[in-house]
Amino acid sequence: MSNLKLEIVTPHGVIYDGDVKVVTLCGKDGEFGVLPQHASLVSLLDAGVISATTDDNKEIVIAINGGYAKVSENKVSCIVDGAVAITDEEGELSENLSKAKELLKKAQSSDTTIAAAVSKIESIKK
Amino acid sequence: MASLKEIKRKIKSVKGTQKTTRAMKLVSSAKLRRAEQVAKASKAYAIKITEMLEEISANIAKSQDSIDSPYFKSTKEPKVVDIVVITSDKGLCGGFNSQTIKQANSFIEEYEAAGAKVRLRVIGKKAIGYYKFQQRELESAVDGLSSAPTYDKAAEFIKVVVDSYLDGETDKVIIVHNGYVNMITQEVRVDNILPLNPDEFKPDSISTSELEMEPDDDSLLDELINRYIEYTIYYALIDSLAAEHSARMQAMDAATNNAKDMVDSLTVSYNKARQEAITTELIEIISGVESMK
Repeated sequence: MSNLKLEIVTPHGVIYDGDVKVVTLCGKDGEFGVLPQHASLVSLLDAGVISATTDDNKEIVIAINGGYAKVSENKVSCIVDGAVAITDEEGELSENLSKAKELLKKAQSSDTTIAAAVSKIESIKK
Repeated sequence: MASLKEIKRKIKSVKGTQKTTRAMKLVSSAKLRRAEQVAKASKAYAIKITEMLEEISANIAKSQDSIDSPYFKSTKEPKVVDIVVITSDKGLCGGFNSQTIKQANSFIEEYEAAGAKVRLRVIGKKAIGYYKFQQRELESAVDGLSSAPTYDKAAEFIKVVVDSYLDGETDKVIIVHNGYVNMITQEVRVDNILPLNPDEFKPDSISTSELEMEPDDDSLLDELINRYIEYTIYYALIDSLAAEHSARMQAMDAATNNAKDMVDSLTVSYNKARQEAITTELIEIISGVESMK
């Protein structure tokens, strides 16, 4: 099975670069999922959460504050202004979580977006 | 001939200066490493956003004959030109700032000779000071940004510029800054940020697949261009910061070496003067003894 390459870059550096099975993006017109062999697409991204499942079935969650996603055959490139990867490495989860929340709040998106994103983050935390 | 005491004092003072310059060099090299890392990390974003802009504009160009966006509207003879000059906030970095200002001045001359009005937007204390002294009117002046560039502040600054471009107040915007090449070289870089040249955004390979876009094409392109411009100014700032540190490192290295040479030559003349004093004393003693006989 072919894989999807996911890249998330910000002006401050590359946040994530790796192969995934499926990725869910927070588009301006609503959330959408991308599987390998997706048609080419460019979309505006809203502030929210990008989640993906890696090859070894690990969940990755990354909070972003808006940007673009370009989907071509086997590659998803996200160009975003700011991003925080929410990982559970070395017990930094809670710290990352608060950073992510702050990022979303700063993005000045509507309260519902923030609430949705935060609840999503929190459900993953459990 | 300077007295022994005077030379000794001079040596001490030069040594003091040397200590300062050496410390500044070390600080700059540490800061340079950080600035370099920031610039490098940011490079990935530059490649991606240019790629994306290329593909979208190519895609729009395919469906329409030309791109009908104000950002691409090129004017042969601009009437009002905004020049953004980026310099450092601090001095002691060799010809770093004067090179940038020189380049900016040659642009000012060029455009004014062509009959255009030049508006200056200046970032960094050094350029502000320079143009204030020249009594040039500054459209905007920002300090504190070039020594600690952040994306948000850069975006805030450029938004004013872009808005005035869209309102038709200015026809052309260029950025002049000194950029980092490597540890020992900097070069003055010029970015024409507005209007964008559509030819610069021709992708190397045009993909045959149709690109789906949401929301509609034009607002996406406009937003992307905005982002691109924001990023360009941010990159110019971090590039300039890296260049500033490398220039300062070099200048301070040269200063430390010069101080060392100076101490050496002063030590030689100190020794000579001491020798001379001893010889004179000896002669005096000997001639004294001679006269006693």
